[in-house]
Amino acid sequence: MMRYVAATVMVGLGLTAVLLPPAEAPAPGFETGLESPPISVCPVVETANRHSALSILSSVDGEGRISSFAAGSETGALEFRTGGSGSVTLQAADVGAVDFTGTLIEMPSENTASGVTVTGGAGFAAESCADTPSGQALISGGSTADGSFQILLLNPYAGEAIVDMVVATETGLESDARFSSVVVPAHSRINMDLTAIIPGRERISVTMTTTRGSVLAAGLQAIGNRTALWRAVEPGVDWWLPTPAGGESKQLLITNPSASQVQYQLDFYGPDGLVELMADGMLEPHGEVRIPLTEQTTDAVGYRVIAAEPVVSTLWVDSAEGLAATTGSQMEAPTWLLPGARGPAGGAGRAVVLNSGLDGVTVTVRSLKEESLVRDFELAAEDVLVINLVEANGYRIEATGPVVALWTAQSEGDGSAAVGIPLHDG
Amino acid sequence: MSQTTPQVADTEVLDRAVDAPRVRVLLTVVADADLAAALAVVGRQVYEPGPEVVVVGDVKGLDLPEGVSVSANLEDAIGSTDSSFDYLWLLHADARPRPDALSALIAESERNDASLAGSKLLKAGTMDELESVGGATDVFGEPYSGLDEGEIDLQQYDVVREVAFVQSASMLVRRDLAQGLKGLDPLLPPVSAGLDFSQRARLAGGKVISVPSSEVYHQTRCGARGSARLEQAGRLRAMVTAYSRLTLLWVLPYDFLVSVLDSLGSLLLFRWRPLVRHVYSWAWNTYHLPSTIRQRSRLKQIRSEGDEELFRFQARGSLRLRSILEELSARALSLFDDDQALARGTKRVWTAPGIWGALIGVALILFAARSILFTGMPNTGFSFPFEPAGVALERWLGGWNASGLGSPTSVHPSVGLTGAASFLWFGLEGASRTLLTVLAGVLGLVGLGRLAGRLGLRGPGRYLAGLVLIAGPGTAALVGRGSWLALAAAAMLPWAVRAAFIHPHHARRGRLGLAGWALLTGILLAALSPLLVVVPLLTVAIWRGLGGDRGSYLLGLVTLLGGIAGAAFLLGDPGWILDPGRRLAVEIGALWPMLVIVATLPLLVVGGRQGRLGLTGGVLALLGVSGALLVPLGPGVEEALLVTGSFGAALVAAAALDSISRSVFAIVAAAGGVGMLVLSMVTMSNGRLGLPAGDVNERLEFAITLADDDGAGRILHASVDRSLIPGEVRAGPGFWYRVLDASGTTHDEVWLPQPRDGDRELADAVVDIASGADLRPGARLASHAIDWVVLEGPAFRLDEVLVAQLDLVPIPLDPSARVYENLDAAPLAAGDGVVWERSGSGFSGEEVDGRIALAVNHDEGWEPESLRDGWHASVSGVAGQASYTPEPLFLGLAIATVVGLLASVAAIVVGRRRR
Repeated sequence: MMRYVAATVMVGLGLTAVLLPPAEAPAPGFETGLESPPISVCPVVETANRHSALSILSSVDGEGRISSFAAGSETGALEFRTGGSGSVTLQAADVGAVDFTGTLIEMPSENTASGVTVTGGAGFAAESCADTPSGQALISGGSTADGSFQILLLNPYAGEAIVDMVVATETGLESDARFSSVVVPAHSRINMDLTAIIPGRERISVTMTTTRGSVLAAGLQAIGNRTALWRAVEPGVDWWLPTPAGGESKQLLITNPSASQVQYQLDFYGPDGLVELMADGMLEPHGEVRIPLTEQTTDAVGYRVIAAEPVVSTLWVDSAEGLAATTGSQMEAPTWLLPGARGPAGGAGRAVVLNSGLDGVTVTVRSLKEESLVRDFELAAEDVLVINLVEANGYRIEATGPVVALWTAQSEGDGSAAVGIPLHDG
Repeated sequence: MSQTTPQVADTEVLDRAVDAPRVRVLLTVVADADLAAALAVVGRQVYEPGPEVVVVGDVKGLDLPEGVSVSANLEDAIGSTDSSFDYLWLLHADARPRPDALSALIAESERNDASLAGSKLLKAGTMDELESVGGATDVFGEPYSGLDEGEIDLQQYDVVREVAFVQSASMLVRRDLAQGLKGLDPLLPPVSAGLDFSQRARLAGGKVISVPSSEVYHQTRCGARGSARLEQAGRLRAMVTAYSRLTLLWVLPYDFLVSVLDSLGSLLLFRWRPLVRHVYSWAWNTYHLPSTIRQRSRLKQIRSEGDEELFRFQARGSLRLRSILEELSARALSLFDDDQALARGTKRVWTAPGIWGALIGVALILFAARSILFTGMPNTGFSFPFEPAGVALERWLGGWNASGLGSPTSVHPSVGLTGAASFLWFGLEGASRTLLTVLAGVLGLVGLGRLAGRLGLRGPGRYLAGLVLIAGPGTAALVGRGSWLALAAAAMLPWAVRAAFIHPHHARRGRLGLAGWALLTGILLAALSPLLVVVPLLTVAIWRGLGGDRGSYLLGLVTLLGGIAGAAFLLGDPGWILDPGRRLAVEIGALWPMLVIVATLPLLVVGGRQGRLGLTGGVLALLGVSGALLVPLGPGVEEALLVTGSFGAALVAAAALDSISRSVFAIVAAAGGVGMLVLSMVTMSNGRLGLPAGDVNERLEFAITLADDDGAGRILHASVDRSLIPGEVRAGPGFWYRVLDASGTTHDEVWLPQPRDGDRELADAVVDIASGADLRPGARLASHAIDWVVLEGPAFRLDEVLVAQLDLVPIPLDPSARVYENLDAAPLAAGDGVVWERSGSGFSGEEVDGRIALAVNHDEGWEPESLRDGWHASVSGVAGQASYTPEPLFLGLAIATVVGLLASVAAIVVGRRRR
């Protein structure tokens, strides 16, 4: 009898083993959300006739650290405090920056931004600094035909980085061994002077793909005593670009980083609101279109670019009043920081806020300095607000709806433009 | 033998008597021997002229017959014998010669022109059991009689022949030679005295013969005079006395070597007395060296022959070593052969069915272990090199558990076992590891065959089924993940189960020995896999529940007591039993359960022991497999269930393959068994007995090569693929990780103890780093002495975030892993400007006045002057070393295990003696 009981038990166990799902296998813990450390990487120029100031904006009175790096190590570092205004401006020379190089700013908190302003006898330029590196970035708008164009590859991190560059010009893709597998050692920067490598090119766009490590890039264009400094950005399918009125030679550059054709569409914000299909077309592989904005319409206060595949939109201003370049914004947000935004001594600065939404908003503009100024403005839907800036470390723009902010300045016979840094959670 | 009746002398006889040699009997007093009876027997000798009798020894209080004289010692008695005597008959008082014994001795001596003749000795009170017919020796004087134990005299040796020696109980010697030799050496016991006298007689030019027609019953009471150790010493003295100096020059060292080997071999057979005898022998001879030298001087005066004359009658080599080797090999061979056919060397050897199964099985095991034998053990998964014996034993005895960030809890009990194995294997950890692994395969095979044999199976399949034990459903899954211990535990399991079953032939034997085996195997099993000690009792319960005999609950419980070996480990880390998050969650296909069922159910019809064993195995196999798959408990439970699954499957295979008949049921069962065998062979055919390939230590060797003055610290090893990380792991956010000793992972590190403060802090750091929020992960890991971060397998979150950080330097050292060096890491032990190094299970270095920070979890047991410094410990640097004082509970349990082990061995030895 016991034999049959045991046999039944055995068969039961066997069927259990075969038919029932096994106990849940151990698994590691849940992956936490990815956070970026609050840092900024800024290109700075520190030469005999160009000096850089770094403006750091935050919402807290906290401590941070700024360091410059080159050739595998820190060349200098400085601890700083943002003070009651949550902002501070530092000179790059104070952290040992030399030449066209990079600095790493460890911010006191989240929701911060920094920007660099280049002044001196050889032009005026400003640009916001980058916070997170991306695998692919693009910079367009440079020229080696009537000036010098350098690209700075910055690797502030501990690991070596390798970058493949695709350089497109009016003559097509440039083939040069120096553009492939560019090694950027840890804590170092590589300054690629395209003037020497591909002289005489009028329209240059460079797509950089990082195959190992992490790299941030910026371009420095110098034409005479005019200078433009702008950073490489990750391509995207939607771009907004507030545009101040005036200027004779504003151009919008839409650049395709991919090896296939991309369809694009350009809309503009005018007195009647959003006007779609100002221009459209097909971007050739690694191709670029330059749209002279003032030739299209003088009524535009802002533009929107929509593409089927990621592209980069860059505002390029090259006129007698100055040389400026900046990319558009890939997002709308209610809060923006404009690091370095100011009315420079002997010049003028303006903040441009585009309300791309369908409702009017209230815009609060706050200058960040020891004694902050705060002013409220009403901004109609699909309209732009232009504010004159005063001396400050930067500006904070808060709106009751999504907007896009940018600032421009003119000083020392040169001009600058820099898109703001949107804050994700205010 | 018929009693010879004395004849009435006629004239012819009288004439012969007048010409016959005269003999003087020197009757040596033996304690407890009846002297009067001895004298009476001598008096009945049929020999004329009647021998004169001299009693040698103390005869106070004894009334001697008329004509019998007394001498205080043999030398005086011999010396006082006048030249009218031709022969002296040296006879012990416990000897009872037949009436014609003397006449036979004299007749053969005269006929063969011998100077020394010995009688055939028969044991008194037996059915003519032979004691001696003279004999040979080896060069060390070890006697060799050529007789089997209890051999009966059937006149098979009744040929007069020259021999190396005759016993002194009854020997006839020419009077002149005896006087030249000055008799027997009074310091020597009987056998060696006879040997010594025989050798001296031969060197003096005498011929030594054995005269079987001279029969003497010997009560062997004289043997009581000389213990075995004195006989041993006497043989050495006889050797030193007889050999020339040139011969001694090589014989003595050779004898010493033989003594050592004999002692060691005997210890393997659980005999300690030979060791004592050898030590005594050398000590005794050293003490008596002056008198030995005097003996040599005496012999020198009459020596006429060289040592070659002795060598003629000596066996080659060492009889002692030959005997011990024969016994050891017989024991080894008997493992495979219950019938002892091999051991007895009978012609039935190759008809013993088990032999074929065992030999084929062992050959397959050796083939399956070919890579291990030729290229060494893999270092991956859960299989890593043993620590040096001293360190391993120190840890096992409650020392600091250095796994991870360290813990005061006990290490896995197998660490002690590996330490002991390395110690016994002359400190060669690598060799002992290889040996243990291959031996595990063979022992598992043999163990299963022996267990099945004990349960009544006799076919060759019971040994081949051992392959299923080694590579069955559970063990294959564990061994495939690199669990070396699963292999060893599986090998040990059938021995422990066997110890809980009593062979019918052993039923009347003392229970002490059986209990000793049960405890010993239980301890060894628990040391390998603590929870497996339940299985012997469980097997007994199922077997008996199915109506089987021979299973003993009591012995099963004794085996359970062996669990003491794993108690400290289980108490220190209950998560090993209870935490399902630490399971390996291995996968076992449906094929194995189906094969077990297919093989078992037909055996029910076959019935008998096959049916019962098959069903027992089937229940165990499927209980183990289904339990391991379905029960969400810790890795210890999973391991025990999986090994039990293989064990049960192996029992099924053994029963299914035991005897194959034309019955459909038997054929189906056998087909199931063959299926299991084939499946097992496929699993273990990789040349490593199923262990995975790879050498993590070799891959991470850069950590040693590139170590700075601070020494090799630790490695943070992380991957989304759990199997790529050595040993146990901890769960991180989306990946697994653990800390390894950068100087090379060892066996003790396989198990991670329960998390302590340092582990929790490290877990927080890992979470922060994985979130990408920490710009300086190296600084965060520095206090944990983590010099390296190694990421394995597919890219995951840490790969992503470590691209953008400032202080972990990626170094392309390994093509298959991402390696980051932490230049800021703190040393394992440092302070006051000095760095200490590992020393045993602690640290040591330059003595300093300040404190030394130890990058290990804090515990009060650290000495001297332990203080908590955050999560880690610090000690005073004054002593120049930091050591850990074990927790009394863990130390006590380790000692209890040792006591249990010794008690079990003692019980086995005592049990054997009683047999």
